[in-house]
Amino acid sequence: MNMSNATNRTDADESGPEQPEARVGLRYTLSQVKRDPTALAGLAVIAFMTLVAFIAFVDGVLFDFLSDFTFFANLGIEQYLLANTFWVNPVVDGTGQILRPPVYMTNQLYPDQPGTWAHPLGTDHRGRDVLIRLFYGTRIAITVGIVATGIAMVLGMLVGAVAGYYGGWIDDALMRGSETLYAIPFLILVIAFMTAFGRNLTFAMIGVGIATIPTFARLIRSRVLSVREEDYIEAARAAGVRDRDIILRHVIPNSFAPILVQATLQVGVNILIIAGLSFLGYGAQPPTPSWGQMLSNSRQYMLPNPWFSIWPGIAILITVVGFNLIGDGLRDALDPRINN
Amino acid sequence: MGRLRYTISRLLQSIPVIVGVITITFLLTDAIPGDPVQIMLGPSPSAQQAEAIRAKFGLDQPLHVRYFNYLFDVVRLDLGTSLYYGVPVTQKIAERLPVTLYLLLSSFTFALLTAVPLGIISAKRRNKPTDHISRVVALFGVSTPSFWIGLMLIIVFSFWLDIFPATNLILPWESPANVDGAANQLGVIAKSIHHLILPTITLGTLQMAAFTRIERSSMLEVLGEEYVKLARAYGVSETKIVRKHAFRNAQLPLITLVGLQLTGALGGAVLTETVFSINGMGRLIITAIQNQDFQLVMGTTLVFGLVFVIGVILTDLSYAYVDPRVSFDGSE
Repeated sequence: MNMSNATNRTDADESGPEQPEARVGLRYTLSQVKRDPTALAGLAVIAFMTLVAFIAFVDGVLFDFLSDFTFFANLGIEQYLLANTFWVNPVVDGTGQILRPPVYMTNQLYPDQPGTWAHPLGTDHRGRDVLIRLFYGTRIAITVGIVATGIAMVLGMLVGAVAGYYGGWIDDALMRGSETLYAIPFLILVIAFMTAFGRNLTFAMIGVGIATIPTFARLIRSRVLSVREEDYIEAARAAGVRDRDIILRHVIPNSFAPILVQATLQVGVNILIIAGLSFLGYGAQPPTPSWGQMLSNSRQYMLPNPWFSIWPGIAILITVVGFNLIGDGLRDALDPRINN
Repeated sequence: MGRLRYTISRLLQSIPVIVGVITITFLLTDAIPGDPVQIMLGPSPSAQQAEAIRAKFGLDQPLHVRYFNYLFDVVRLDLGTSLYYGVPVTQKIAERLPVTLYLLLSSFTFALLTAVPLGIISAKRRNKPTDHISRVVALFGVSTPSFWIGLMLIIVFSFWLDIFPATNLILPWESPANVDGAANQLGVIAKSIHHLILPTITLGTLQMAAFTRIERSSMLEVLGEEYVKLARAYGVSETKIVRKHAFRNAQLPLITLVGLQLTGALGGAVLTETVFSINGMGRLIITAIQNQDFQLVMGTTLVFGLVFVIGVILTDLSYAYVDPRVSFDGSE
């Protein structure tokens, strides 16, 4: 830690006093990100996954919407939707063959039920199309990952800013509290929380959000501690600006860049945690499709039907890699040490 | 002497954290809806039976009385009796904790043994193909769900290739009489390691990737230091620079991370134990939560908290071995 400080100091000495200031702005960050291929690759991955999630969202809404009208029901549109592969809401039991292999599987292994293009990745243990369930899983993973991060970020910012700004016993109490949260493994904390309050996605998000507060609280606190002694904070205080306004208008905006990096990386981590929760049965409840739950289902069929376990994991991997690439790209853009 | 005093003062400092862990778990288990007595006695217990059990476990007391009773019990190292198993919680933990620690130890060993060389090579050959490969490996490592790695390893190495077993972990301290095909204790240990390979990779990949990333970046930082430049200017070989000058200083961030990763690894152990059907602490706590075995939930969470606290203290102590500037006598 001492060493990083030393490096920073020499940087500042060499490049003049103005330079570090210019390097923390949001606009500077974005201009750096634009030049960074890793961040762009991450953005592309996440844009694609968001598109997939959006398609699943529209599909779900459309299905609910259409089946609400007796007119369409009389037309047999529901039957059409159920029979057709793409516009099938995966919540409804599938009509296809149970555990049909994906299209790339050779017929020798399953001579009587070859993979077809109707179900490119095959069907699950209830005959539902795996590809479409993956699409729906994207929607859940991205939403849950972002919302849980948002909860942790807002609460963590509050805790960290208050602790760092006031110091003294408030700081001690809040930091001991956040250490305590950190001492209990996330997964266990969230499972106990969900058992107590509700075993569904809402409480999974809230639970993961609360469990990861310490990450943001610590980050903000350390930023506040360094910002607190700056001249402009001193000036604001002398001018009679209230503490709350100083924290909200000056301290937090000045800590924005590292929070953004942490938040992006945290979305990826949260997607992994929630997949783990779903795998253990503490996430989206069936029939709502989630990646972790698909993997959990696949365990029973692993020996005869290994393909069933492959794709949800790859979907998680791609999404989390996307968020990590963006986070790494942002960090490189914001860290002056890596730039020279 | 300084080290011992430092350790003791750190242990005392972590008491609030441990009390906090107990409080959070206590409130959470109390908030779990449903009646643990009913789960224990089945659907229709007689009123007397239920009352007797309630009185025996102190469940008829109000919340704050139960809380302080529990705290006093913990001080006396009495974690109560498991409602579900009917044995002391400490006995159940003594059974399961070694299994989880064995798994944790092996996966951290695996992670460190791969991450340190990988990170150093990556830093030394910055932006060369080796570096790119190791960075991609690390990126995928931190992005892959550990339990999925476990499933894939089972499919490939247990089902297809049939090299490593997927279940029935054998512990190295089991008696040779109970283990098939092991003539003596050495045979048991060999079998145990053979069984442990897949779970180790499953749990250790995430740590390995995280360690590689931090090792690379801290090595890069140290290699850019003035004293390294000076050594280079004197014509010291790159290998010698890394081994004699940079290595020790580059390990500090890694050591910090090892301590912090412990809590994540304990959570990961829950998933790994589920995938490989290992009867460790992780599965114990999940079933305890499901059965509302509140004494057991409290006890296991407390032990997790303790493992974490001790891990962080050990981390801080190991600083002294690596960084001679750190001393434990008063100020740093």
